[in-house]
Amino acid sequence: MAQSTTLPHPAASATHDAPRTGNWDGGNEPFKASYGKLMMWFFLLSDAFTFAAFLTTYGMIRHKHEVFTGEAKDFVFSTRWWPIPDHVFNAFPGMGEANVPLGFVALMTMILILSSVTMVLAVEAGHRMDKADVQKWLLWTILFGTTFLGSQAWEWTHFINGHHEGTVMADGTVFHGANLAMNQYGPVLFADLFFFITGFHGTHVFSGVCLLVWCFIATTNGTFEKRGHYEMIEKIGLYWHFVDLVWVFVFTFFYLV
Amino acid sequence: MASHATTEHTLAQGEIAKPNTAWIWRVFGVLVGITAVEFVFVFLMHPSTLRNSIFIVLTIMKAFFIVGEFMHLKHETKGLIWTILVPVALLVWLLVALITEGSFIGEVLQNMFK
Repeated sequence: MAQSTTLPHPAASATHDAPRTGNWDGGNEPFKASYGKLMMWFFLLSDAFTFAAFLTTYGMIRHKHEVFTGEAKDFVFSTRWWPIPDHVFNAFPGMGEANVPLGFVALMTMILILSSVTMVLAVEAGHRMDKADVQKWLLWTILFGTTFLGSQAWEWTHFINGHHEGTVMADGTVFHGANLAMNQYGPVLFADLFFFITGFHGTHVFSGVCLLVWCFIATTNGTFEKRGHYEMIEKIGLYWHFVDLVWVFVFTFFYLV
Repeated sequence: MASHATTEHTLAQGEIAKPNTAWIWRVFGVLVGITAVEFVFVFLMHPSTLRNSIFIVLTIMKAFFIVGEFMHLKHETKGLIWTILVPVALLVWLLVALITEGSFIGEVLQNMFK
């Protein structure tokens, strides 16, 4: 071999004077975090950019529209002003036309916070190498996650099919529910933003549930036990908490403010 | 609260440590409590800038507990904490700037033909 185009293996050259040790193979761990966990943090930061873009768009478009200034009880849906959230989201499964302002979304919020708690409990069990406990808490998290997804499906169905009374549109016809082009609740963009923001969040929850199911299978097969640590549960846990965190913001800006 | 690492010194081979979960349920209580307070404000207070400010402050408190405790960021190194917080602070700036801009555009559009 007269000429070599490849560099010598970095680990081999490092052994001449000082051997490299440690997870990042430089004898050091940046930020005292493992590679995987740090990269998960950076991914979540980039994901935060995406959601911040959505919420910024929501804030800008909402402020561009007129505000209903009368008493809350006199409020009617109109394309002239932005709707009051507790008049839009006031239905509860199995209660028909009963007025339960924000009742269902409160339940959904509780389910997601609970799923976050069971996720931390799974991570904590992983620290103790307690396989049975990890399995138990992962299953609870999957249960709450899928319940949340089901609730969101119901919420979407109700939003799309609309309230009983509907709204009289500009051409005189009564329109019920919502699609991307028109809706009974107010300006067109209100429904668009609802679909995009809650839909994007729901997609994240769905990905999270898939990852959790995979984690559960790997735990059951003893993959992490053989590896000697349950760090994968921690990384998926970071993602799951982030999804909960996004919901906290969506909840405030879409349903409360 | 940094003491929720496992205590391995007294464990025999194959033995599993006792769960240490009191802090998790305490954070859960805080999150549920803040959400309950938000609902009190939704129904007992008329919509206003003050009410919205209260919601935003409470939301940031919830975010602090989720990121700090559940995601463990509070117990990471300072470098990692700042790496996450500085870009987020810039995002908040963007949010405030564009909402202000939105109000201005709305004003222009609504008064265009007056």
